[in-house]
Amino acid sequence: MTDDAGNLSIDFLAGFTIFMIAFIYVATMIPGLFINLQSKSIDYDAVAYRTGVILVEDPGMPYNPSWATLTDYNKGDILRFGLALSKNTPNILSPIKIDRFFCSTAFVYPDDYQSRAVFGDYPYQFNVSFQRMGDNITKSVGDPRPDGYGYSRRIVKIKEESNATMGFSGSLNQGYTQNATTQLFSVYFNYTQLTGEGPDNNNPAYQINPLSPLSEGVVINLTDLDKIPKNTTPLPIANLSSISFYRSRSLSAQSAQHSGFSFFPVNLTDTDPTRTYKLYIDGNSTPTTTLPMEVKNNVSLILPPGFLNFAGSGDASTWLNITMQFDLTDGLGNHKSDYFLNSTQVPPYGAFEYNYTSSNITQPHLSDGVLEVAVW
Amino acid sequence: MVNDDGQLYTIEGFAAGMIMLFTAYLVLGATSVYTPGDTHISDMQLEQLGTDALRMMNTPVNSTTDSPLQNITETSVNNPADAKKTFNMTFLNYVNNKTGSETDNLHYSAIVSYRNITDGNTTWSYPLASNRNLTGGEHPVRVTEWVIVDNKIGSNVKQNRSVLVEVLLWRD
Repeated sequence: MTDDAGNLSIDFLAGFTIFMIAFIYVATMIPGLFINLQSKSIDYDAVAYRTGVILVEDPGMPYNPSWATLTDYNKGDILRFGLALSKNTPNILSPIKIDRFFCSTAFVYPDDYQSRAVFGDYPYQFNVSFQRMGDNITKSVGDPRPDGYGYSRRIVKIKEESNATMGFSGSLNQGYTQNATTQLFSVYFNYTQLTGEGPDNNNPAYQINPLSPLSEGVVINLTDLDKIPKNTTPLPIANLSSISFYRSRSLSAQSAQHSGFSFFPVNLTDTDPTRTYKLYIDGNSTPTTTLPMEVKNNVSLILPPGFLNFAGSGDASTWLNITMQFDLTDGLGNHKSDYFLNSTQVPPYGAFEYNYTSSNITQPHLSDGVLEVAVW
Repeated sequence: MVNDDGQLYTIEGFAAGMIMLFTAYLVLGATSVYTPGDTHISDMQLEQLGTDALRMMNTPVNSTTDSPLQNITETSVNNPADAKKTFNMTFLNYVNNKTGSETDNLHYSAIVSYRNITDGNTTWSYPLASNRNLTGGEHPVRVTEWVIVDNKIGSNVKQNRSVLVEVLLWRD
């Protein structure tokens, strides 16, 4: 027997066809709804913004001691880059961190930066650049920018470290009228005062901080040494014989009492830059590595970032005395007595104090810069 | 026996299609509630830049000086021409500076607002500086910075007052 049960009718075919056409049309329309919400350019802009915020407003992790003080060997301990001085000073950057961040020998693009500044699972390409305003030198890390990329620009300030310049062509040379063959010139750091009595309520932006995590470097310049009056002819030859470091700290049993100053050795050729100093004599571009050395006009003693923290062993009660010993000789190498540097009579410590009030010290100040992040 | 149980008729398929198209139309119309993303990001970048510029202008260079923005705002009371010139140079230098040799080309209009305690605590404002007038076609963002000034602005006596520096910032 033949019947037509299960046959499709023309009506059903026509209706089903119209339904499918409408369904396919709507289905293809749906992805277009989310173009504005899911475009790659927005994602890149957001990542660039996030990276800019991390770099400019965050001090990084670890914070104390700062990630910038970790050696290349220990860079695996760095969890997050951040260039800010502290979490309370957004947009004010540390020059030490800037130099460290853009160090191409320490960090490899993109892996080291991706996991510590850019973040995210997607393998972004990026370029981070920094420039001081008024300067034509741009520090940069990353690939050249393509035509389209996510972008963030931040305006920042950079904390410029303090320095002391003692010129002896003017009033400073008046007191050095003591005949001696060996003369001492000392500079004194009171860590308690430097860390506790900084200007603007101890604002990190204007503080001379000898301790971690900032542990800034300082420069001590002695200039116009040949202008110091002499008492004899022919003029003696001045030789910088040694630079000695002495420290005093509060006694553990009686915190109000300080220990006597004790000598501690510093190796001028130490390979760890935070445990030694650099010495430049008479404008020579090569640092001096051996003493004694004849000095005609000027001496620059550079204590790099981290050195003062090392010298004080991270103790805020430290008093640090740096003494330069000068020996005067005649042309034949014999000791000769004459006027020269002698700060032993300078009150109250027999040394020039590196503090917030001395007119010889250029206090920390802020300069302008711009940082750009491009991500694609 | 032939009957039409369970069959779909043409008119029903057509009706189903129309319902789907109408639903799609409603959904498409509803997307207007979302903020267009690209415009928002562009605005955010300008806001960030302007905020950074005002904040940096309001940061003293060292511990013994006032901030440039404080100096400009105090000067604007008695010498508006000088204040305008200094603000224009400083602000544009901040917002137009980029790494590399290229520079940006932004425009702004800045005003100062303050509470006038000599006039019933009403809010007064005056123009500080601008490098182009707003014509209405621009799409500016608004950034502000509170500045502590030490002068007689809105008061009969010289004292510390907070005033609001407000900048409209846009790109051609």
